[in-house]
Amino acid sequence: MKENELKTMRSSFKIMEERRIDLIHDPRIIKLQERVKNIRKKSVKKIPAMVETARKSFKINGMEFLYAEDSHQALDLIYNLIKNEKMVAKSKSNTLNELGLSDYLNEKNIQLVETDLGDRIIQLKPDDNKPSHPIGPALHLKVDKIAEIISESLDVKVKADPRVIMELVKGNVLEELKSCKIGITGANSVAAEDGSLIMVHNEGNISLLSLMDTHIVVVGVDKLVDTIEDAISVVKLETAYATGTALSSYINVISGPSKTADIEKKLLEGMYGARKVVVILLDNGRQEALEECLWCIGCGSCIVSCPVYNVVGNEFGYRGYLGGRGVAMSRFLQDEKTSFNSGLYMCTLCGLCTLECPVGTPTSEIMEKIRKESKNTGFSPKEHYKIHKSIERKGSPF
Amino acid sequence: MIYFRGCVARLKVKEIGDATETVLNAAGVNFEYLDEEECCGSVLLRTGYGEDAQKLMEKNIEKFKNQTILVSCGGCYRSLKMDYKEMIGAELDVIHTSQLFNELIVQGKIKLKNSREKIAYHDPCHLGRHLGEFEAPRNIIRKVGELVEMEHHHEKSRCCGSGGGVKSAYPELSGKIAREKIKEIEKTGPDLITTTCPFCKLNLSDHGLEVWDMSEFVVMFLEEDK
Repeated sequence: MKENELKTMRSSFKIMEERRIDLIHDPRIIKLQERVKNIRKKSVKKIPAMVETARKSFKINGMEFLYAEDSHQALDLIYNLIKNEKMVAKSKSNTLNELGLSDYLNEKNIQLVETDLGDRIIQLKPDDNKPSHPIGPALHLKVDKIAEIISESLDVKVKADPRVIMELVKGNVLEELKSCKIGITGANSVAAEDGSLIMVHNEGNISLLSLMDTHIVVVGVDKLVDTIEDAISVVKLETAYATGTALSSYINVISGPSKTADIEKKLLEGMYGARKVVVILLDNGRQEALEECLWCIGCGSCIVSCPVYNVVGNEFGYRGYLGGRGVAMSRFLQDEKTSFNSGLYMCTLCGLCTLECPVGTPTSEIMEKIRKESKNTGFSPKEHYKIHKSIERKGSPF
Repeated sequence: MIYFRGCVARLKVKEIGDATETVLNAAGVNFEYLDEEECCGSVLLRTGYGEDAQKLMEKNIEKFKNQTILVSCGGCYRSLKMDYKEMIGAELDVIHTSQLFNELIVQGKIKLKNSREKIAYHDPCHLGRHLGEFEAPRNIIRKVGELVEMEHHHEKSRCCGSGGGVKSAYPELSGKIAREKIKEIEKTGPDLITTTCPFCKLNLSDHGLEVWDMSEFVVMFLEEDK
């Protein structure tokens, strides 16, 4: 990231921190936090059983259930569903980012419409399309820079005014959506027993996508919890920590395709919403991950205070998984080399992220564990090797 | 009591070892150095060399037996107090210099001069957030002058940028983090800046900040005739 982008990002982070301070100290949120910690810790211990429960529940609810072991399988499954389309639409999703869906569809000549405003801005940016925050992907860009991006990419002259930019992007996206029949989204939490997908948004874009002919939902096995009640608790806490507001404008709970039985009790699918809802549950290394890595609820609280992230930005992280926990995850989603290149040794192990994390993810401990393994396979800085040799020889690093 | 200086205070920022010795002598505290002091293992633990750290710990533990260990460094404090326990089951009697100095003041064994200066304090991650020691250094500062707090302090204190092997592997990144920290420190408009970890002092001073270890600070304000 460029120096001016980092500066804008830091000032956005400061505003976010100030905005949420009262809310996250509210006794109700503290109570919710304890509840969610238990839900997350309990859930990650029984992923295989929950996958089977989810498989049955989704089928009962009339949704198609698919399981992908890895990203290649997931992309193949998606392609199989959309291969006849020229254009599909998507919402903001770290899981889709993890799959590299955008590049993949580009190769397959299928156009992708980003419907989230921040994501759309980043998509239209000519270089460095990585987000800077999981909920606010473009908060490292100033309004005049955004106006420049939009003006150039859409070939119009737009004023550096947030509302004007929003209206223009909205118009452009809505126009594109007319040609889309398939919407692809992630989900913030999944209720295995109920067979329900829970999605949080403010813009209303996910609602639009869920009303298309087919709605494809790609979600990691780490998002599984038992019930809708648990899932709602998770997303409420995520919202509070991510945005500093108690609730998002929309929480969609999707438990089946759109249907009616108003005529002689005959079941008809595809009334206003999706005729077909397809759930792709993705493993991609998650079940091999250290359990604590999977507690994350995706609020991005960790990066807002991270001393490393604040000075280098998204260079410290893997795809949309930003900061230390993202680096740790990349070890499992990809491999040791990827986590090394994502910043495994850039973390100062200061532990502030754990304090800021609503579920207390012990990232510095996780980092130390991964470093230990990584060193044994050769992914370790040579400076550390020299220090280790020096200690062995003369009892000190110097 | 053993005064375990730690590698940085022993070899890189020797003023800290010297100042600590001055304070201990002024207070009449009996202490000794180890014949052959080696790394506590912290550096190895943080960079993935856990097995080597464990060997070193087992060697060190023989030298420590049944003695109180006084340390200058946040890193040593954490490893001796926490990692030795977790990794080799050794519960050591460890005290940080700032804790001892605070006790010596309370017991009247040393006395500090008053000053009108504004004094900032940087909480090292290991001493503060990891092990919860926030007040001993602050109590010492309050005996001398006015303590000024930064935007982020106590458990929310921001790292100086040197920890976790970052200073050696990514010196440029370490410098960027230090400069952000320095900006935050300077905003408090302090006359003096203190900390309680040689590693923090080293990194912050490498990037242009004059910062004093608590031992140097105590020497600076030590009342000769208590």
